[in-house]
Amino acid sequence: MTRTVRISNDALALACGADHVAAAFAAAGCVVERVSSWGMHWLEPLAEIAGEGFGPLTADDVAAVLAGTSALGIGAIAAHPFIARQQRFTFARAGQTRPLSLDDYAAHGGWAGLDAARRIGPDGVIGEVTRSGLRGRGGAGFPAGIKWTTVAKAPAARKYVVCNADEGDSATFADRMVMEGDPFGLIEGMAIAAHAVGAQMGYIYVRSEYPHAIATLRGALDLAAPIIAPFRIEVRVGAGSYVCGEETALLNSLEGRRGEVRAKPPLPAIEGLFGQPTVVNNVLTLAAVPWIMAHGSAAYAAVGYGRSRGTMPIQLAGNVRYGGLFEAGFGMTLGELVMEIGGGTASGRPVHAVQVGGPLGAYHTPADFHLPFDYESFAAADGLIGHAGITVFDDSADMSAQARFAMQFCAVESCGKCTPCRIGSTRGVEVIDRIRARSGRGADPVESLPQMHNARKGGRSLAEDITLLEDLCETMKFGSLCALGGFTPYPVLSALRNFPQDFGLPAAAAAE
Amino acid sequence: MSGVDTTAKLVRMINQIVRNLLHDKDPVGAVAGHVHAFWSPRMVQQLRAHGSDGLDPVAIAALERLGQDHGHAAG
Amino acid sequence: MGYEPQADFGTPAVTAQTRVSLLIDGRAISVPTGTTVMRAAALAGGSIPKLCATDTLKQFGSCRLCLVEIDGMRGTPASCTTLASEGMVVHTQTSRLEKLRRGVMELYISDHPLDCLTCSANNDCELQDTAAQVGLRDVRYGYQGDNHLGAAPDQSNPYFDFDPSKCIVCSRCVRACDEVQGTFALTIAGRGFESKVSAGVASDDFFSSECVSCGACVAACPTATLNEKAVTAIGKPERAVITTCAYCGVGCTFRAEMRGEQVVRMVPWKDGKANRGHSCVKGRFAWGYARHQDRITTPMIRNAITEPWREVSWDEAISFAASEFKRIAAQHGNNALGGIVSSRCTNEEGFLVQKLVRAGFGTNNVDTCARVCHSPTGYGLKNTFGTSAGTQDFDSVEACDVMLVIGANPTDGHPVFASRMKRRLRQGAKLIVIDPRRTDIVRSPHIEADYHLALRPGTNVAVLTALAHVIVTEGLVDEAFVRDRCDQDEFRDWAEFVADARHSPEFLAPVIGVAAQDLRGAARLFATGGNGAIYYGLGVTEHSQGSSTVMAIANLAMATGNIGRRGVGVNPLRGQNNVQGACDMGSFPHELSGYRHVSDPAARALFEAEWGVPIDPEPGLRIPNMLDAATDGLFKGIYIQGEDILQSDPDTRHVAAGLAAMECVIVQDLFLNETANYAHVFLPGSTFLEKSGTFTNAERRIQMVRKVMEPLNGFEDWQVTQALARAMGLDWNYTHAREIMDEIARLTPTFAGVSFARLDAEGSLQWPVNAAFPDGAPIMHVDGFVRGKGKFVVTDYVPTDERTGPRYPLLLTTGRILSQYNVGAQTRRTENARWHLEDVLEIHPSDAENRGLRDGDWVRLASRAGETTLRAQITDRVAPGVVYTTFHHPTTQANVVTTDNSDWATNCPEYKVTAVQVTPSNGPSQWQLDYDAQSDAARRITATAAE
Repeated sequence: MTRTVRISNDALALACGADHVAAAFAAAGCVVERVSSWGMHWLEPLAEIAGEGFGPLTADDVAAVLAGTSALGIGAIAAHPFIARQQRFTFARAGQTRPLSLDDYAAHGGWAGLDAARRIGPDGVIGEVTRSGLRGRGGAGFPAGIKWTTVAKAPAARKYVVCNADEGDSATFADRMVMEGDPFGLIEGMAIAAHAVGAQMGYIYVRSEYPHAIATLRGALDLAAPIIAPFRIEVRVGAGSYVCGEETALLNSLEGRRGEVRAKPPLPAIEGLFGQPTVVNNVLTLAAVPWIMAHGSAAYAAVGYGRSRGTMPIQLAGNVRYGGLFEAGFGMTLGELVMEIGGGTASGRPVHAVQVGGPLGAYHTPADFHLPFDYESFAAADGLIGHAGITVFDDSADMSAQARFAMQFCAVESCGKCTPCRIGSTRGVEVIDRIRARSGRGADPVESLPQMHNARKGGRSLAEDITLLEDLCETMKFGSLCALGGFTPYPVLSALRNFPQDFGLPAAAAAE
Repeated sequence: MSGVDTTAKLVRMINQIVRNLLHDKDPVGAVAGHVHAFWSPRMVQQLRAHGSDGLDPVAIAALERLGQDHGHAAG
Repeated sequence: MGYEPQADFGTPAVTAQTRVSLLIDGRAISVPTGTTVMRAAALAGGSIPKLCATDTLKQFGSCRLCLVEIDGMRGTPASCTTLASEGMVVHTQTSRLEKLRRGVMELYISDHPLDCLTCSANNDCELQDTAAQVGLRDVRYGYQGDNHLGAAPDQSNPYFDFDPSKCIVCSRCVRACDEVQGTFALTIAGRGFESKVSAGVASDDFFSSECVSCGACVAACPTATLNEKAVTAIGKPERAVITTCAYCGVGCTFRAEMRGEQVVRMVPWKDGKANRGHSCVKGRFAWGYARHQDRITTPMIRNAITEPWREVSWDEAISFAASEFKRIAAQHGNNALGGIVSSRCTNEEGFLVQKLVRAGFGTNNVDTCARVCHSPTGYGLKNTFGTSAGTQDFDSVEACDVMLVIGANPTDGHPVFASRMKRRLRQGAKLIVIDPRRTDIVRSPHIEADYHLALRPGTNVAVLTALAHVIVTEGLVDEAFVRDRCDQDEFRDWAEFVADARHSPEFLAPVIGVAAQDLRGAARLFATGGNGAIYYGLGVTEHSQGSSTVMAIANLAMATGNIGRRGVGVNPLRGQNNVQGACDMGSFPHELSGYRHVSDPAARALFEAEWGVPIDPEPGLRIPNMLDAATDGLFKGIYIQGEDILQSDPDTRHVAAGLAAMECVIVQDLFLNETANYAHVFLPGSTFLEKSGTFTNAERRIQMVRKVMEPLNGFEDWQVTQALARAMGLDWNYTHAREIMDEIARLTPTFAGVSFARLDAEGSLQWPVNAAFPDGAPIMHVDGFVRGKGKFVVTDYVPTDERTGPRYPLLLTTGRILSQYNVGAQTRRTENARWHLEDVLEIHPSDAENRGLRDGDWVRLASRAGETTLRAQITDRVAPGVVYTTFHHPTTQANVVTTDNSDWATNCPEYKVTAVQVTPSNGPSQWQLDYDAQSDAARRITATAAE
């Protein structure tokens, strides 16, 4: 009897050589099914045979696996601690379905949410989503039900559902995994949203760096078109700007305009795409909806912590031993996630810093490991969970370099609209460079001119530059138009406060 | 260039007026009224002096009717 | 008024039914719902620092200086993008805000030149003011960081410079170009710190880009980045006077910003009700002619046009003119004299010229240049509605759902109103364009006409009849409107007429040259698309059936119920600044002021009592009739104020013959114009900057013209007319233009309530202003037509006599271009000439190929009237078989080619249809050579005699 082997065709698995492994199994006479990824990145390429997992494999390992002599077996995948500790709602099908198989999708509970939504009607859907406590998974954490209600109530002939799939944060990949591995789940979520608010047209704005996701989504949309009709969805490919992940810049980009942030109000829910009421939600928000509709809001809301209800697909990356996707109810501590789930650093050196929430998230020290993973707890600790990307650093990292990187990132990605971000990020790099050089500065040639009567002639000390950097961060945080400039101070200030020695300050200055 | 035949021009003008007022219930009256309202008497006299040569019958009738009226009632 | 910039409330005013009350820095204020916190604060008398916000543009939220704190709200929201709400408690001045604002300003100044004292915007710069406001004292970043200080200036535009080193990237210029002007010529290129304002594409400068030089960006710029060259050259203005532009019929209000007797700049006034703070390249920048060296400021006379001019005193010129006119009257009778009222001069000046003709010359031989533009409008709308004027105000366009633009090229001819049209179109209004040429409004950024009916020139009536056919036969008539408001018998006759199968789109399509389905689609859209407004221009009136077309337009508006409310109506786009006013003032030979026929004894009695002279009850001669009479030896003397009939009127050779046959031609003008080549007396004129009075624009809006400088020639134009009148024995004693307006009000029922005092107090008034409409009438025919019942008039399509044939196989149509105005007397004497150095002939590629023409070739353009030469421009803007040119340059003299065909009812010339042939050429025509020689000879001036 021929054996069926399942191997992911997720981009990460492919990058690790999954195609070679699959070919080797096929050559050995196996039936190979290309499925989504389980999300255990350190095990990719991971092969599953009758529920047993083997990985990470190379083509050379195939013979041993089939012979039963491989040492790479991990036992039953579902029972693997990394999987078993998860609570998978959004990623319930991960690793188990072929992405473009409508049969697989239906067999694993697909379309049950949409069916339920159609049964209970738009108001019922919005009620369910509201009661579920689902909040925007893009980072802002705005209640989805309220947003949908606003769009539903806005009088307009045309409305839109826009999926923000411009996943640009470092260390994040959950959106990509949904789109590559479970595209029908996202489509179903969008169809439910459209049903709820009365939208006729949807767009998925995908970053151009995701060619596999784009191809998979396009294939899935062809297949699903009759199911979601009359609602229609198109995939639009982004133009390579981080700031286009900001919802209003994204809308500008979708309209063919310069990818520049719009001031709010008007909210996109009132005046969004082409001036019409528009739901803009992140991939994870929309992909969570079918589960809620199929299982009920109470089941979803039963999980979580504080005002953060349901599950969050957390992404572990950077210098971490067990990297991958870990979906769990809100509330696990940062320490559990990094040390127990992630297994500490891959290098084996001590964990020095953990950045949570992408490039604009704060750098935390192990002193913050007690923080429960939820929106409010991290905000209270001058941090944010963002899109739930966690990047781990060991003690070889120079945190002033990381602070500089944050300012540099902001300068490179700034749309240029608001002043604090446009000029501030460039000045920020300059100031941090001076700080890193421990130089302070003398009066510059312009300040030294006698005509510059009001300018101070004495130059500036390192301490004054530190103050200037702090003031700049305050200007950016409270003055910027969007989160790019507004959140850049998080990594900068957290690096400065938590790792003062990297800025030439005595460690004692750490705590103010 | 001074070879303009101003009388021929007046003939052309009144015939043009006729063509544009043919749909009036009383084309003769309409043409007479229009000329009366907008032409200086000297132009009317010049056309009368010219005679009927080249004039549309409606124009001829209108000029006749104009002559019957004393003075000018407002258009 | 001293010089201070107009108040800026930061964000635009909103209108709302409801209001909200809030507390700003402890001060209570109530504002319309939807008002921003910034505007509310400004209304409350406060001043929140701002740079990217200005009340002519939508809020943008980029500078981040206007941050405030609001109780119960997180963070520091921007006051420009936060709407006031009931009970809101706002703090605009806290130490936290002060620090933030200073932080932002510190960033700005770390990338800005520091030598303010020598900057052209010194003391007139919002960045400078705001830096002072926030108390910036130290730039801790120093001045060695990355910056834009080396960016090269762009000085390509003749009127303003762009200096990117001073740019703060507030996007106000880009937004002004988008939102106000609607050209979308500017953008922000690059991103982040590299963001910079860019005109057009990377290889462009301002001059080569799509920029139309309207000046909106310059007005919006808070720094010296975009600044008028004149400010750089002269300095900051010291006083400002509100006045009305003297170019087109839109009637923009400007602040003439002055330094002594020198205009520094003309800035559109935000409170101007016609322009709402916008301007075009002409009104904004092309005023340099007022001090051009070509201006004639000393009177001149001569006994014959073959002689050189002789400069004389005013007394001598006036007494020479008066004695000549008295001699002619004695020898040839009163009717050998006449006059032409200028549509460029004020109402008061026009009124005096017609008064001089009627009361002094004793004849009704007075006409105005409306003869050659909108006389059919007066005739057609008076006939159908009862008033010789458009039905709406410009603001009405904001409520329009379907615009039908016929025979008008608003983006070139009426650019400021075109921008308001385009703004409404971008909001979603539908557009139907009926024009043989693909004008710019057919397709422009974010606008595309739903239908462009590119008809064959001369078939307007056929098109409108076909549209009416669809509306009547498909049951799209607004029955209730027609029943309540219009004469039923006339409607039935008309409906029966248009419903005839011979008027169906299918039947007429071959005549019109437009597909039947497009005609049907356009008709359905207009009849069913909501508020439908019709905008038209000289492409309607300047035809052999101009008056019929105006009436067909009126029919269409009535049949669809599109009269008497906002968003609808019949809107003639008037050509000249005061053509409406000139008509209102009794400048036609058959009418006294207020459109009362000279045969009306009651109207005459009023004037006879006031003036103490009898008024001739018979109509006088129209301009073409005057010229005809002159060639017949019956018309001998004419007083022409501010019009250049030789260049502007059709069939130039006939005009020249008529003028040459006269014994005394008096020309009053700024320059020795073409007509002056045939004049015996030249009386120097004054510009609109040098006089007081009023202009009336296309929406019947009477607006003040205020003297901002003393006349170079010593007199306002009405004073010269008065001197001539006194020399002819009339006892006129006006001491100010306001006294003339008082007389107009006494004698003209529709102006009864108009006075300078009211205009000064209220800004403007739209006639009628009288007991029935004490505050004027923005929209007419609201409760019923002025004439009682609306009159449907059957308008049968009568093809023009001007037909193409083997000798003249192409149809020429004429028009104008944005940068030039009319005969170009003013605009050619400004830098505007750079955009349009010569008139060119637009010709379709296939017609060009048949003739072996390449782009830029010299061609001979010939009609049965005459011929001229000019350069060809090959373009598919025109259809095969149609050629197009402008008439701005005397060397081209397009009107040598146009014929003496005219509108049947008004003699408005048929400029828009001339059968022509185009052939390759290698030089000017004989007429051009002869004319140049004559012109040179006629312009000679002998040495001046001592005063």
